[in-house]
Amino acid sequence: MDLVAKMLHAGAYPHSDGVGHPGPIIVEQARWLTEADLEAFWVLDNHYPRGMSPLGFDLVNIVGTMTQAIAERIPLPPGRGLHAVVGGTHIYAAEIPVTSEWEMGYRGYRAAQSIPRMIAGFADAWQEAVEELETGFAHFRETDPSTLAPHELGRHLEDAVTFHRRAWEIHFEMMYPLLANYVGFYGLCAEFGIPPGEISKFLQGYDTKIMETDRELWKLAQVVQELGLEETFVGRPVGELRPVLETTPAGRGFLEQLDAFLDRFGWRTEGIIEPTFVPWIEDPSPALAAIRGFLAGSGSFDFEAAHTASVEEREQAVAAAKARLTVEEQEAFETALAGCRAANFAWWNEEHNYYIDMRSHIPVRRAAMAIARSAGAAEPEDALFLYVEELLDVAAGRRTWAEFDAVVRDRRAFFREWWDRRSEMPKVLGPPPPEVTDPVLKEILGVNEDFLRSLQEVDADAVELRGTPVSSGVARGRARVLRSADEIGLIEPGDILICEATTPSWTPAFGIIGGCVCDTGGTLSHASIVSREYRVPCVVGVGVGSRVISDGDIVEVDGDEGVVRIVERG
Amino acid sequence: MSGLIRWIGDLAEGDLPVAGAKLARLGELRALGLCVPEGFVVTTDAYRRFVASVAGFVDRHLEAVTDPGDLDRVEAASAAIRHAFEATPIPDEIADRIADAYEELSERCRDLNVPTAVRSSAVGEDAESASFAGQFETYLGVAGVERVLEAVRRCWAGTFTPRAVAYRLRRGIDHRESPMAVGVVELVHARASGVAFTIHPVTGKADRMVVECSWGWGEAVVQGLVTPDHIEIGKTDRRVLDYRVARKEMVSLFDYARGEVVERPMPPRFRDLRVLDEEEIAAVVDAALRIEDHYGYPVDVEWVISRHRRPGDPVAVVQARPETSRPAGGGDGSGAPAVDVAQLARSFLLGESRRDRR
Repeated sequence: MDLVAKMLHAGAYPHSDGVGHPGPIIVEQARWLTEADLEAFWVLDNHYPRGMSPLGFDLVNIVGTMTQAIAERIPLPPGRGLHAVVGGTHIYAAEIPVTSEWEMGYRGYRAAQSIPRMIAGFADAWQEAVEELETGFAHFRETDPSTLAPHELGRHLEDAVTFHRRAWEIHFEMMYPLLANYVGFYGLCAEFGIPPGEISKFLQGYDTKIMETDRELWKLAQVVQELGLEETFVGRPVGELRPVLETTPAGRGFLEQLDAFLDRFGWRTEGIIEPTFVPWIEDPSPALAAIRGFLAGSGSFDFEAAHTASVEEREQAVAAAKARLTVEEQEAFETALAGCRAANFAWWNEEHNYYIDMRSHIPVRRAAMAIARSAGAAEPEDALFLYVEELLDVAAGRRTWAEFDAVVRDRRAFFREWWDRRSEMPKVLGPPPPEVTDPVLKEILGVNEDFLRSLQEVDADAVELRGTPVSSGVARGRARVLRSADEIGLIEPGDILICEATTPSWTPAFGIIGGCVCDTGGTLSHASIVSREYRVPCVVGVGVGSRVISDGDIVEVDGDEGVVRIVERG
Repeated sequence: MSGLIRWIGDLAEGDLPVAGAKLARLGELRALGLCVPEGFVVTTDAYRRFVASVAGFVDRHLEAVTDPGDLDRVEAASAAIRHAFEATPIPDEIADRIADAYEELSERCRDLNVPTAVRSSAVGEDAESASFAGQFETYLGVAGVERVLEAVRRCWAGTFTPRAVAYRLRRGIDHRESPMAVGVVELVHARASGVAFTIHPVTGKADRMVVECSWGWGEAVVQGLVTPDHIEIGKTDRRVLDYRVARKEMVSLFDYARGEVVERPMPPRFRDLRVLDEEEIAAVVDAALRIEDHYGYPVDVEWVISRHRRPGDPVAVVQARPETSRPAGGGDGSGAPAVDVAQLARSFLLGESRRDRR
């Protein structure tokens, strides 16, 4: 064509060899770790304990991009969101720093304008977001991909990815202002000399969607008791329960209630974003394991009592803090606390997990597996070992399933190999910062002095480990070292849970455990928030707990002092 | 009435040149109705007359020093002048007046040979500045005419310590412009004592006051020989916000054998013992806030709780000064702390540590 020919000119300048200045958003995708990366400080991201499958990488890259987009839009003064490097299949995260002093100040000025406005409008904004997320998700809840024609499946997968992207856009639009609000409150408390451990208590005791799920599970445990089905539940793998239950009227009655529960609360997985996690609607084993856990505890867990105790502790902590403040300081404290409660990070952290983190990837998984099925794959989960573009090629008939046989086999093996290596992965890479004063790193990711020290002095014979005390009380019990939430069925009532970190899928375990110890995390991480709501003593940021402590050891968790003692080797 | 002696209760406004800053303020507080110990001032007139008797000697020695940085010469002049002060008898006229006043003080206190605190009270623009504070002596537990005269003369000599000589030289102040009055006041027999700040001395917060205290006399606290109990109080509602009991290793106590207050290790039973109860704290706070109210600016107050004090009695005030140690730009005394959560969030998000890391 003439137009094309005219552009062939020695001085043609648009897009000449990528010399142009980059735009405002640096879309950096996860990439292989290199030697050069080891000069910076990276933290093993505890959100992804399994590592990522190929489809998981596509989904997690979208999340990283969204942190960058929203960090620009609000903006966050010191950082441009997160980027990642990959060790095997495991994600190491770091902040993309703003390097210009002027820009940091300018972003700070903009943030000071925009964040208070967002906080003031938070309740309405979140309500709207929930409605939007429910409306969007309804499409995927109501569409059974197996009923779609092959040519519709590609579009359905793209739609699912679009929903995932929008869900995570909302996620960071909400999260960053809440975080800034919390950090401001944290700064005020620090100014008033309030110990950091007390601050998170001020925000506990508010009901969330995740707590609601757990209460429903607890009610189902009571249904089991009422229907006289306890015998059926004991001593049988949860995977084998359904066929047995279907043989009796009482069993069928229970299944009817279970299915109603799953329809509402079953769109969740044991891990976030990574699509190899199986949702409860596909396999309700985690729900059944939680029910069995409640049964084994024989009603020892009392939600109402725990909630009351949590509220009581909150009110006591607030009263104790106020007693040490002047009348004028009390006024400022109350105003800031009210603002933090109206836009409560700790509460939202659990709430948003239900609407976003635990389900945004489920439609993608279902669409991908439907493409595999329709293409004649023997094992539909093989779909999770292809990238979105590859799946679209299959759906469009540009490539056949058979072409990917060997690829999938190799990728599966690689995924498995690195999953098995998870517990050996270093928790941090590169030189740690000389001191940690940043509250985001400290309270949410749990990168504090104790944590860094514990990583430097790994002592396999240690009998005492130190971490951050995040939920009060002392508990002693048998250690149960778990690597992922799908193992929570192994927990016996009163066990001390030892793990890398928890996600919302672990929540049912908190109704039966005696105490909790996590390698990573701070006062605002998931295990900390849930422990406080369930009144379970908890220490996080222990660093090497899951390496030093073994199954069956008798351990004592001191949630006031932040100490974990190995009392007796199992 | 002679110009050599003035009773604290007779001091009036404008008496600062006569009584020095410290004693003039005590007179003012006494007039205000605060509990200030009975006592008299050996006036700056008395000092001048005494110095006149050694003037030639003083001037000759001072002329030899021209460079305040020449420590050897400053020290030599200081030593010679102070030696002359101690060797020169106080003129009879002055000594008789002091002896007479001391006898009257004993009578007023109904206490034969009443033990006293003999305090320097300087005059001059810098007498109260932080850089000069604590340079002049106080003698505690001085009883009997001879010892009182001795202490008065030592206070006078205190105007010629090496630091004072060098300081005046550097600022071009003639020693005649900064005469020294001396207070002789009844020694309050201290069970506990300390200081009270009507503004937080470290953070400058105007809604918080701080009381620090220990057992016995306040010298160990003022000189920083002991870590005192630390109490923070909300100024508006006078509520105790924090009481931190310190391990108090040293104490200023009265040595009956030597007849003076001395510094000793704290007896073990008193070391970790909480010093003040709520009622006593309230009395200290009340005195400090009345003083601040009177002056209209934040003050620090040295106070003493007498062993004879009963609940409801006021505490004794032995010194009060404008609070000078608070950081510039700190509290403005208006009450409410300036708190802006958005600003705090911003400063934390912009945290210095992040910048340093790069």
